[in-house]
Amino acid sequence: MRAWQREVVSLLANLKFAIALLLLIAIFSILGTVIEQGQTVEFYKANYPLQPALFGFLTYERILAWGLDRVYSTWWFLTLLLLFGASLISCTIYRQIPLLKVARRWFFVQKPQTILKLPYAVTVPASRWSEVMGALEKRGYRLWQTDNQFYASKGLVGRLGPIVVHASIVLILIGAIGGALGGVTAQAMIPSGETAAVTNITQAGMFSKRWLPQDWRIRVNRFWIAYSEKGKIEQFYSDLSILDREGKELDRQTISVNHPLRFRGVTFYQASWDISKLRFQFNRSPILELPLSPLEAASGGQKVWGTWLPTKPDLSEGISVIVPDLQGTVLIFAPQGELLHTTRVGETVEVNGIKLKLVEVVGATGLQIKADPGVPIVYTGFALLMVGVVMSYISYSQVWGLCQGDILYVGGKTNRAHVAFHQELNSILAVPSNIE
Amino acid sequence: MVSLTALQQWLDNTSFALLFAAMLFYWVGGAFPQGWQWLGLLGRSGTIIANLTLATLLLARWLEAGYFPLSNLYESLLFVAWSVTLFQLLAEGLTQSKIVGIFTSPLATGIVAFAALKLPEAMQKAEPLVPALKSNWLMMHVSVMLLSYGALMLGSVLALAFLVVTWGQEVQLRGNSLGISLNGSRQQPIQVREMNGGSSNTLLLTRPPVTPTPRQLTLGEILDNISYRMIGLGFPLLTIGIIAGGVWANEAWGSYWSWDPKETWSLITWLVFAAYLHMRITKGWQGRKPAILATVGLGVVWTCYLGVNFLGKGLHSYGWFL
Repeated sequence: MRAWQREVVSLLANLKFAIALLLLIAIFSILGTVIEQGQTVEFYKANYPLQPALFGFLTYERILAWGLDRVYSTWWFLTLLLLFGASLISCTIYRQIPLLKVARRWFFVQKPQTILKLPYAVTVPASRWSEVMGALEKRGYRLWQTDNQFYASKGLVGRLGPIVVHASIVLILIGAIGGALGGVTAQAMIPSGETAAVTNITQAGMFSKRWLPQDWRIRVNRFWIAYSEKGKIEQFYSDLSILDREGKELDRQTISVNHPLRFRGVTFYQASWDISKLRFQFNRSPILELPLSPLEAASGGQKVWGTWLPTKPDLSEGISVIVPDLQGTVLIFAPQGELLHTTRVGETVEVNGIKLKLVEVVGATGLQIKADPGVPIVYTGFALLMVGVVMSYISYSQVWGLCQGDILYVGGKTNRAHVAFHQELNSILAVPSNIE
Repeated sequence: MVSLTALQQWLDNTSFALLFAAMLFYWVGGAFPQGWQWLGLLGRSGTIIANLTLATLLLARWLEAGYFPLSNLYESLLFVAWSVTLFQLLAEGLTQSKIVGIFTSPLATGIVAFAALKLPEAMQKAEPLVPALKSNWLMMHVSVMLLSYGALMLGSVLALAFLVVTWGQEVQLRGNSLGISLNGSRQQPIQVREMNGGSSNTLLLTRPPVTPTPRQLTLGEILDNISYRMIGLGFPLLTIGIIAGGVWANEAWGSYWSWDPKETWSLITWLVFAAYLHMRITKGWQGRKPAILATVGLGVVWTCYLGVNFLGKGLHSYGWFL
């Protein structure tokens, strides 16, 4: 390595640098939870005006210029994450692995002074040698011994843990990059009973072409909502079919929230819903359809859907039809706003001398369609990370012993659980507890 | 069902009374060491029984609602309190140390007092789950997260206690993943060359001193190490909880990470405690600095747990309660 390369590596592997990075990522992450993310320019103009600036400096101009409206995808935040990854890799190679090699070396102690310098040190009668050996073994220590020396250790796996943790986080970062470059996300709102192609792609990586076959079509055989007795939504269901170019069914499943459909690396999630149209009949007409539009109450109350229905051929008179949900209730209002009927789907009512049969309120399912080739790598990282952090809890304990004359010198150290180790050795050596 | 409701009412008040009494026993015992044996035992017993009454209360709600009772603020507070008492008992048990309760008992007492006495009755009622939460992952993710909050809060409170107890003293820290002392002390690394060199026979002439009892650990050392061990336990739990949430989110709506405020704050918590664990192995940044960061971490955990409610709505919100 050249001199400057060595300096870069030693900075990246530097612990203070790593801690600073951890805390910097934490602090910048807070920004994104305090400032609303991903809103329109108008939103920031309204909430962070130039005069008076929030805290005297936080104007919408600065928010947009610094990227505070999308903190987690700004170049500076991603740079921090990349540095974090680089720091993990260099720390593992240049610090952790060499340290592990040292930790695996072991030896007997030759001098009592060496033992007495250990954090835990005590002397017991030499006659208790075999009793101490037995107690150490019972506590899970591995023992090596000569006539008058012993070495015991347990928990070496605790020294391996941090390495596994670092490697698995690097794996997760790699998987995340893979997902960003090779993944694709799309959305579709399809009325019950209709077929649609996936066209509304919201995010696609550079190498994502092969994941979302363009010739697939989705048929929503049925979309419905299960309501509880009290009228609260219990679950959303979509009965979906995946069709190929010729309209042949490739797969059919009913999905719900938490139960998506997976097909050839692409997953279909139940993400949203809507009420799309009203089907009705005048007297003996064929069944007619009108789209229902969402109406938001000015006070921010519950959303309802509605449409205007003409009741005369010259459209001079009509009624408003309001649908509050998919439970079947339909409200009919006169143009002046007075409630004429509260009825249900399937019923027939008379308005302005015409028989109006409400045949069906058709819902629409909102699907999130996603392919992420990075997921297997991320999941592997997750699994290793869980194993690694648990391993890292284990304390690595070492005990040395040396017999001289009628005295057995016993000393030991551990890397994490000092108090518990102290207690353990007290109990192994039958020394009275001296904590407190 | 009426009897279950009455039972719950009784159980949450009893839990509070027990924790409050246990706290007083710990404190009086701490002030009068001659009565420590039985006062400490009373405090410990009170905590054990409160831990059981809290568990019974949560089980009763589980039976009543038909799903794991972690759907609203009241239930989650009681679960956190249960987890705090669990880790307090674990810390006492693992280290045979009775002083833990003196510092940590106000934590569980405070949480249960708030849940049982301050929360309006409407917020104590179990609500049906929204579709997004109907999954077996709910139990896995939420319970592990709340357990980790309990362990991290306990560890942070002990770090604060360490700062108070060692106020104005020179401190030397023990316990880090490297197992080496970085400040220079009696804990010397053993020389490898000893293996080959030196005849031990000559040493018999000058016999080293005998120490029938080991050096005592100071109060500061004990507090610091228990704090480190509890944070060390909370950290893997937090990691597993975040991962469970990520996997659930990916299985449910196709994204294991979406920077939602709660997610982000759990990451912030993770980063702060990761920094704490690394500070302990950093030359020159030991002593009080990690404990100060852990104390800051106490605020971060609470922000992640409750503060995020004020930042936005969503699946992670417990709703308003002020």
